[in-house]
Amino acid sequence: MSVISNPTVLSGVRRAEVVRSMPFPLQVITMTWRNLVTIFRTPAAVIPTLIISAFFLLVYNSSLGGASNFVPGLIGQSYLGFILPVSVVSAALGGAGVAGQAIVRDIESGYFNKLLLTPASRGALVLGAMLAGAIILALQTSLVTVVGLLMGLQPKTGLPGILVMLGLALLLGTAFAGFTVAMALRSGNAAATQGATFLFFPLTFLTSTFVPINLLSGWIRTAAEINPVTYVLDAMRALLNTGWDAQIVLRGLVAILIMAMLTFTFAMASLRARTRRR
Amino acid sequence: MPNREIVAENLVKRYNGSVLAVNDVSFRVKSGEIFGFLGPNGAGKSTTVAMLTTLIVPTSGRATVGGYDVVSQAGEVRRIAGVALQEIGLDPLMKSMELLTIQAQLFGMSRKQAQQRARELLELVKLSDVTDRRVGKYSGGMRRRLDLALALAHEPDILFLDEPTTGLDPASRRDIWNEVRRLNQQLGMTIFLTTQYLEEADELADRIAIIDGGKIVAEGAPAELKASLGSESINVTFRDVEAVDRARAALAGMADRMQADRKTLRLYLPNAAASVPAVVSRLTDAGLEPASLTLTQPTLDDVFLQVTGQRFRAEAAEVEAA
Repeated sequence: MSVISNPTVLSGVRRAEVVRSMPFPLQVITMTWRNLVTIFRTPAAVIPTLIISAFFLLVYNSSLGGASNFVPGLIGQSYLGFILPVSVVSAALGGAGVAGQAIVRDIESGYFNKLLLTPASRGALVLGAMLAGAIILALQTSLVTVVGLLMGLQPKTGLPGILVMLGLALLLGTAFAGFTVAMALRSGNAAATQGATFLFFPLTFLTSTFVPINLLSGWIRTAAEINPVTYVLDAMRALLNTGWDAQIVLRGLVAILIMAMLTFTFAMASLRARTRRR
Repeated sequence: MPNREIVAENLVKRYNGSVLAVNDVSFRVKSGEIFGFLGPNGAGKSTTVAMLTTLIVPTSGRATVGGYDVVSQAGEVRRIAGVALQEIGLDPLMKSMELLTIQAQLFGMSRKQAQQRARELLELVKLSDVTDRRVGKYSGGMRRRLDLALALAHEPDILFLDEPTTGLDPASRRDIWNEVRRLNQQLGMTIFLTTQYLEEADELADRIAIIDGGKIVAEGAPAELKASLGSESINVTFRDVEAVDRARAALAGMADRMQADRKTLRLYLPNAAASVPAVVSRLTDAGLEPASLTLTQPTLDDVFLQVTGQRFRAEAAEVEAA
């Protein structure tokens, strides 16, 4: 028995017919698609974030929903509109972890090396994982928002406001994905990457999570003022509860861009460190 | 005809500033040659392959693959080289058709071309009937074959196979050997093959280099290397070790070289068969009665013993047993 089934089989596609390389955007699309395929084949990696986010929403709204009757700054507002952004942010940050996990999975299986041996752009390998993460987190934040709407949320700015909120969530998640990807590239180790996503906790809880920031004091107030998520929450809450406020939305956007600049620089440096090939 | 040479000049790889994995390795692989890189585990084979295929950068020295420098023209090297690493890098969640299509696309084929190519390759490595199964469910042999198919996706000029048959059963090993020969003969691919099996290097390679402890200790055609030992050997085994010493004295001057190995005395001499009667008569004169007497043609194992002072450690015995 031999592996050879047909000696001429290799001549089906001659190299002469082949373009020299795949255009960069196509590389990115191909890599994104591949990552999505594997993510959907391991739903266990995605579903927990979704459940946790929906859980936050239900529990916080049920237990703290009465707060808007007496907490200064919230009186007369919907507590659901105040707490939904927390769930959206947690879904965005959790979904962003998918990007780092996708990369670390490839490093651990050795497939990342296989891809490095092709003419594929190193940037496309990373962008593919980031975009797949972005698509997952967009789905997750949308689902959480739908749950909020089903619970009776009536956003002040209507559908356009919801879309702006989801857009902010997408950008925030992508910025955080830069961080998880950087940690994946740097460590090449699933446990370390998983550990890095725990940054999720200070980002989500050292901020105006449950009460407006002016009710916080001491170190937690300082932490909240530094935390970019605070400004993103402000923007989302304004959209849901008080109406259009260009200045607040813009401040949220700037906070995200600063965060993204840091994480992307970190990711690029980590990519270079990994592919500099020691 | 494209340049299909591999040239390594004084390659050195030092990890973390201390461990010397590859120590001043130089060789030249000619176009269309099967070059065997033979050595025991940890000899520096995989590190050399990683440098030649652009995965790691040499600490010093230089190398070209198909005329392209592996450091400054890494992109060009990747385009013409096909690589199957020792550690098979396959995403267990993907299916073979998907992996092959992506691989071919990354080398510049359209989706349609890539799918056609993938089907051909799956047929070639006899995986056509399992295209819908996830790679994670494949057996070791199937994974190796798929990995080889991936390395062939773009019909490379130069193929690097890092221990392609390690862990395979004898039948699968034969399959890979046949395929390697076919790729070499029909498509003129230069093949750089690392192995820890003496038999494999002997069987496949036009020329081999033996690497041990990061250094090349011998290089040449297998027949040439064996001939360089100068001689075949007569092996005389006695009933006790003491007889060996007496035989050694009795036979002094008859062989180029003698080597005692417990109860066996090996005599290395140019025309062993013709010398048997003389050896036997000398032993009889000395009152020694051999328990057995055999003739041996030199093997690569002998070559290895000669250059390193020790027997080949790898899983060679396992191959012989199989």
